[in-house]
Amino acid sequence: MSDPNTADCDSNLHASYYADGMQQVETELVENEQIAQSTYRLRVAAPTIAARAVPGQFVMIRLAGVNAPLIGRALAIYDIVNNDQGDPTWVDLVYLQKGAFTTPCSQSPVGTPVSLWGPLGNGFDPRPCDRLIMAVGGIGQTPMLLLGREANGAQAFGRPNGWAKDVELIYGARNEGLLAGVDDFRQAGFDVQLCTDDGSAGQQALVPAILEQRLQEIGDTASVRVVTCGPEIMMEKVAECCQKHHVDCQVSMETPMACGIGICFSCVAKVKQADGNWDYKRTCVEGPIFDAGKIDWS
Amino acid sequence: MNQATATPTDSDQPIPNVDLSTKLGRLALPNPIMVASGTFGYAREMQEVVDVSKLGGVLPKTITAEPRVGNAPWRTVETTGGLLNAIGLDNDGVDAFCEHHLPYLVTLNTPIVVSVAGRTEDDFVSLAQLVGQLGVAAVELNLSCPNVSGGIDFGTNASSCHDVVAAARKACPVPILAKLTPNVTRIAEIAKAAQEGGADAVCLINTVLAMAVDWKKRKPILGNGMGGLSGPAIKPIALRCVHQVASAVDIPIIGIGGIANIDDVMQFLVTGASAVQIGTANYYDPTLSTRLVDQLPAALAEINASSVSDVIRTLQV
Repeated sequence: MSDPNTADCDSNLHASYYADGMQQVETELVENEQIAQSTYRLRVAAPTIAARAVPGQFVMIRLAGVNAPLIGRALAIYDIVNNDQGDPTWVDLVYLQKGAFTTPCSQSPVGTPVSLWGPLGNGFDPRPCDRLIMAVGGIGQTPMLLLGREANGAQAFGRPNGWAKDVELIYGARNEGLLAGVDDFRQAGFDVQLCTDDGSAGQQALVPAILEQRLQEIGDTASVRVVTCGPEIMMEKVAECCQKHHVDCQVSMETPMACGIGICFSCVAKVKQADGNWDYKRTCVEGPIFDAGKIDWS
Repeated sequence: MNQATATPTDSDQPIPNVDLSTKLGRLALPNPIMVASGTFGYAREMQEVVDVSKLGGVLPKTITAEPRVGNAPWRTVETTGGLLNAIGLDNDGVDAFCEHHLPYLVTLNTPIVVSVAGRTEDDFVSLAQLVGQLGVAAVELNLSCPNVSGGIDFGTNASSCHDVVAAARKACPVPILAKLTPNVTRIAEIAKAAQEGGADAVCLINTVLAMAVDWKKRKPILGNGMGGLSGPAIKPIALRCVHQVASAVDIPIIGIGGIANIDDVMQFLVTGASAVQIGTANYYDPTLSTRLVDQLPAALAEINASSVSDVIRTLQV
């Protein structure tokens, strides 16, 4: 996707370039429905984006032609749906209604013009493993449907698929009502384990605790991989747990973005460098997926 | 060029025969649509987003002598019709720029204007002298970044502005542009000082000093406390500044501030700008800049202009 000589986030230099396959598309909502408490799934026809995306990438989206909200919002690509000919055609995004974009978007009827550009970011690595555990919280489940389907071989994205024998989702939310898309994950064939803060669904526990329990049960974790997305504190605890068990872990960072394509330098996270120091890296082009050990959580 | 189903351009209509070139002192541009420093990365990020060679000029992100890590997050906050930023000149420093970015930039077949910033006059002069010898079209002195201490003084004090421009002009073989801040009482006085110092053109405006507050936490939202406001919200301020400066100086003006469509471009040209820089709009409409180049001939034809120079500074007041 990018020049390996210049785009390594170990480098003290900023990645030179990443948004290589990006397409800007002016289109409209073809679906926009509530799927859980305060949670919506929208669909747009964007074949040029759908055909290029890999799991873990995102798009920037905005309501077209308005100056408020002005700036695009970064949303993980939740699903890519093919047309009758089998060509990737529609892009689905799942979002939590809470702010200046998501609130009006949630009230927007089918046909509302939207502008989007993507696919953006690096995506998860398709590193082979026996068991892929996706540990997510809040609205962090959104990049995992495609990743899990790629891992179990159900869907392909122009790179190797079927690279995990088993795919497991540990999904936590504040309460049952906020759990969104659980049926999608079950239908995709993943082992789904739910947890909630109030015990209204699944175990009354936090995601890192469930993960700890699972890794202990598995015992030999040599061929386990963990990926995580959700609140930063949760990802930090997941990363700690993986480090303790010597498990490979990738995190999907969410930092406030303005452009999504590496030109504004807003979305920086502290990333550890080979020399032991940290540097601010743009999560939009040098991420959003990072090896957990690279993140300086302080 | 990657605009799959986007707003129609004028490419399928007969293109009026107009001269898009524009001249800013010693700096000649193929057309007046440039992209502003800090809103286009180092151009590599945009190389497959737009056809960079169509632009009137590209300004990579401001460079400083030493690498700067930039400010702590949050670095940007959206406001009504605008964007507030406090990036803090996060950049790799001039050495890395010259080694890694400039060799690529000079192959882009578009004028490259390098934006430089420093804490002292000597910083500006040595940066301008160094990059001025490396095949760039011009050097823009960022006298106006509100997010780092030091640099802004050059943009708020006429005599320091004059001196830094004069010293940079003397040391640098290519045209010198002075980018000014609107955060002053009389911007025309600063522009005059830049003119007297020998600036080939003045660029205005940089961002408007502003703030956003989280009242529940009783804290500023930006990591740096205050920041610079950009986007459509500041366009009327920018137009006012261009008007005031056009009335006070003879050197060309590059208009910057909230430009988001072809009407905005034409407003700046008529008011007094010989070129414009697209800034924040690159963030939320990444392919805008080259679409504006496509749309410019028709807009000029609409007022029977046969060239860009026909419309510059034609405001009737």
